[in-house]
Formats: sequence, C-alpha cells, structure tokens
Amino acid sequence: MAPPAQLANCVRGTFRASSFRPTLWRQRCLYHSYEYSQPPPFPPAEAAILSSAISHVPAFGFTLDALKLGARDAGYLDVSTNLLPRGVFDLVNYHLVMQRLALKDSVQFPTEAEQGTGKKIGIGAKVRTLTLARLRANEPVIHRWQEALAIMAQPSYAPPSFAELAKLADEIWFLAGDTSVDTSWYTKRASLSAIYSATEVFMTQDTSKNFAETEQFLDARLEDVRKFGGFLGALGEWADFTGHSAVNVLRSKGLRI
Amino acid sequence: MSAQIPKQLLRRQLLAGGRKKVARESSRCFSCSIRHAQQQTAPPKSPREGSATTHFGFETVAEALKEQKVGAVFSSVASSYDTMNDLMSLGIHRLWKDHFVRNLNPGRNPLTSPPNADQGWNILDIAGGTGDIAFRMLDHASTINNDAHTRVTVADINADMLAEGRKRALQSPYARTPRLKFVEANAENLDMISDASIDLYTVAFGIRNFTHKDAAIREAYRVLKPGGVFACLEFSKVNNALFDAVYKRWSFSAIPLIGQLVASDRDSYQYLVESIERFPSQTEFRDMIREAGFLVPGQGWEDLTGGIAAIHKGVKPA
Ligand SMILES: C[S@@+](CC[C@H](N)C(=O)[O-])C[C@H]1O[C@@H](n2cnc3c(N)ncnc32)[C@H](O)[C@@H]1O
Repeated sequence: MAPPAQLANCVRGTFRASSFRPTLWRQRCLYHSYEYSQPPPFPPAEAAILSSAISHVPAFGFTLDALKLGARDAGYLDVSTNLLPRGVFDLVNYHLVMQRLALKDSVQFPTEAEQGTGKKIGIGAKVRTLTLARLRANEPVIHRWQEALAIMAQPSYAPPSFAELAKLADEIWFLAGDTSVDTSWYTKRASLSAIYSATEVFMTQDTSKNFAETEQFLDARLEDVRKFGGFLGALGEWADFTGHSAVNVLRSKGLRI
Repeated sequence: MSAQIPKQLLRRQLLAGGRKKVARESSRCFSCSIRHAQQQTAPPKSPREGSATTHFGFETVAEALKEQKVGAVFSSVASSYDTMNDLMSLGIHRLWKDHFVRNLNPGRNPLTSPPNADQGWNILDIAGGTGDIAFRMLDHASTINNDAHTRVTVADINADMLAEGRKRALQSPYARTPRLKFVEANAENLDMISDASIDLYTVAFGIRNFTHKDAAIREAYRVLKPGGVFACLEFSKVNNALFDAVYKRWSFSAIPLIGQLVASDRDSYQYLVESIERFPSQTEFRDMIREAGFLVPGQGWEDLTGGIAAIHKGVKPA
C-alpha cells in the first residue's frame, strides 16, 4: 500500500508547494497503472465485500444497506461491514478507485505503428475520450451519484476525495501520452480536475438521450480552456455547481446548512 | 511514585477481601488453571509462558492469585462502579460507550434485510458485569433497527458484578426476556459457548484485567461465526506527551484519593489505575488481535479523546 499513500502525499505536497518543480515530482512519484504490476488496490476480504456491494448500489444507493447485502453475498455477515472503518465512504471510494484503474483497459488508442501514416490522434482528443469514458462508467449508478457527491463533501472525506480526483486527472493525462514536465503540468491537471467535477455533476441532472447534453457540456468546458487557456474560470464554476448540489442533497437529508 | 506508598495496606486489604472469594471459587479457579495449562500446547505468544507469575497492577503475583485479586477488586467496587468509571474517563465513558455501540450498529432491520436470513444478532458481551453495554446494544437494535430479536449474553467472572447487572436489568424492558442472559464465566475459557455461534463479541473496560489476554482473544475467535466481529473498548495510551503527563498525574495521584473518599476503597482504585498503565499500546494490542487470526479494519483501532481510550476491532475471515 505504500505507493498509493506516497502518491497521495505527493499530490498534496505539490498543491502546497509554491515553487513548481515538476521534474522532481515526476521522478519521485512516477507511478501509473501500467508501468509495473501493482499490488491489488484493496485487501481480499474488503474487495470481496465491496465488489458485491457495488452491485446493490443501483437499487439501494451508496448506503449501509448496500454494504450489508454485499457482505452477505460475499459469505460474510451484516456485522462484518465493521471491516470498513469509513462505511459508505469506503463504498464510494471503491467505485472511484476501480473506475480510475479500469480506464487503461477500457480505452485503448492505436499505437503509432498501427496508425501508419494517417492523421495522429492528438493529446487533446485523447483526453476528451478518456474523460468521457470515465464519466460513462458512472452511468449504472448515475441516479445515485448525488448521494455519493454528498458523502464525498463531508468534511472528513473531502480531502481523500480531492486526492482521488487528482489521481484521476493525472491518470488521464498520463494515458493520453502527455509527457510535458514544464509548469503547464499543474495547470493541465488542475483544469482537468475542475472540468471533470463540473461535468460529473451536470451528468447527474442530465435527462437527454444517451447523455448527449453531458457530452456537449464537456466539449464546451474543454473549448473554454483551449480558448482562454486559464483554469480559474472553470474552477469557479465547478465550485459553484458542486457546492450547490451537495448542499441541497445534505439539506434533503435533514442537515441544517 | 505514589503507587508505592499504600503497598502494605493494599496487600492486606486485597487478601482480606479475596479470602471469602477463595473459599467460594477455589475449585473453579484451580480447575481453570489446570485447563489453561493443557490448552497452552499451542505456543502462547506471551513471554510469561512457563512462569507462574503475572502482574497485579504493578505488583507481580502468582497467576492463580490474580483471578482472586481481580475478583476482590470488582466485588468491592461493584456498586460504586460508575463513579470509578466517571473518574477514570474524566466523565466521558458514557459517551464512549454510546459511540462504541452506535458505531457497531447492532441489529438487523427486518425492512431492509432479505426475508430468508436469520433474525437478529447473537451478541456476547464479555466482562459485561453491570450490563451497561448490553442495554445499549438492545436499545440500539430495537429503536434504530426495529429489531426485536437481537439478543445479548452478558458474561462476567464475578458474581457480584452480575448481580448488579441483574438488578439493573429489572429497570429495563429486557429482564426475563430471551433477549438478555447472564452467565458467570471466565473470558479465557468459554466452554459453555459453542464454536462459531456469535455475530459480535464485545468487551468494554474488561480485557486489561484478564490474566491471559491472548487466550481470551483466541476464545473470542473460536466462538465467533466466520465474518463475526471482535470489538474491544479499553483505556489506552494517550498519544500527546503533554496530555499524557497531565492525565497520568491525574490518574495516579487524584483518583485513588477520590476513590477512597467516594467508596472508601483506595486500593481497588489503585489497582485499576495501574492496570490501565500496564495495558499494551494501541499497535501492540492490534498485533495481538491479528496474531489470533483476525482481519483488522484500516489501521486496526480508533482513538477516543486523544487515546485515553481506544476501540479495537477484528473480523474473523469468512
Ligand atoms: C471495569 S469492569 C467493566 C464492566 C462493563 N463492561 C462496563 O464497561 O461498564 C471489568 C469487568 O471485568 C470482569 N472480569 C475481570 N476478569 C475477567 C475474566 N477473566 N473473565 C470475565 N470477566 C472478567 C470483572 O468482574 C468486571 O466486571
């Protein structure tokens, strides 16, 4: 488990760091899903309970009930959910981690040799494809995703949720083949995180066929960044949007905010 | 340290207090220790193996004697027991117990459970003496999870503590129902409980008094169903040096004195304070739980109030 923890520390560290030192960062933290074989992300018993529980999320949401049903399916008892100290957040986190790690297999770009002399797929287009693939992985639980967002917004779970988002952005740029080590490295990851979050929230309210509007929304955000080159605008919008809906969900659960 | 001063007194009083217990319990105690001796063919992790002595607070005493001495302590504090807990926990042990129980979330909600599954949880509360944990468990199961089937067996080595528990049960809705049972038993040897029969094993502020903690944890493992949970609430190691110094000063000097005032029983309290100080650290205890075969959630424990107490859990693999 050392490498993920290390990565999380690095990510946190870099957000704090005032001097940009991308090269160093990459040397210390170079760690991506397919660089070398990794230990499984969750210990076996936890993985067994959580993977079964995920299949109950469409019907029961990100709830203790889904966890208990998962435990039963995996041959455990209701009480065995005590193995997961963060309860429902562990369930949300499982989904986040597994879908991030699944990206490298679900999206495969042709290698340069396979592409031959045809037009190359640009890094930007790859980022778009990967981001969309990740968003689509939320489809089976999209009607429950506001619940998940509300859980992630709770004070003790916000930092690990944020760290996981940073890992996702990093993974996407990495799989897209971005090798830049200049100061744009941070900007790219920060703007992608912001865009991803905003689109993810948009998607929970999207009733269009096959999430066509979500796709348009994503394209518009990516276009903004391309045109204006900054990520601050997008960040503002992201904060606003997420802040709002998370507050609403928490209110609907009886919290006075 | 002030622990040294009342030694004479301590020894005299405890032996005097223990004498009537010796008479009553001697046969059982001796047979227990013989059984221990047989059981310990499996290599015990305890460095104490082979030696016949153990700790009684900071005193080293013969193992057979510790059980009697602990018995004497709890007989003598049985009724003023809450006061003692209030002093040791700075008045917050009730909150810790509430948290302990709420977090375990006992009970099976019939509305959200598959109909074929068995009803309620089978809970064993070890060293449950006064029934404090048991009543909370049953209340939680009934009111939070609409579960009228979850049942608790309260086990304690000390008949006086059990009597206190039975008395208190009369003021609860659970007296004389199949949901609450009291049995006299040593945690290190739970012969009357069959293998793999328990969903949740709890021990609150009890395990530090056991002569062989590792044997007790192995018994817990035996009686739990696969997937069952071992949960222990116990005084632990304060993790902030300054707070630790303050708390130690408080517990070593103030508490025995107050104990004397409120219960006129300084020595029993002295023992309690010392036994807390002797208890293994959070990581050591977590490793003991792992050693017995349990999976531990996350880092294995949760500190309460800066580590004055901690909750350790283990899950028996399915
Ligand atoms: C401090 S009290 C805890 C009572 C209760 N669980 C609570 O939290 O309020 C400790 C209890 O452990 C019991 N005890 C000590 N050694 C024991 C043993 N070997 N087996 C079972 N119970 C034991 C004592 O009799 C006493 O009732």
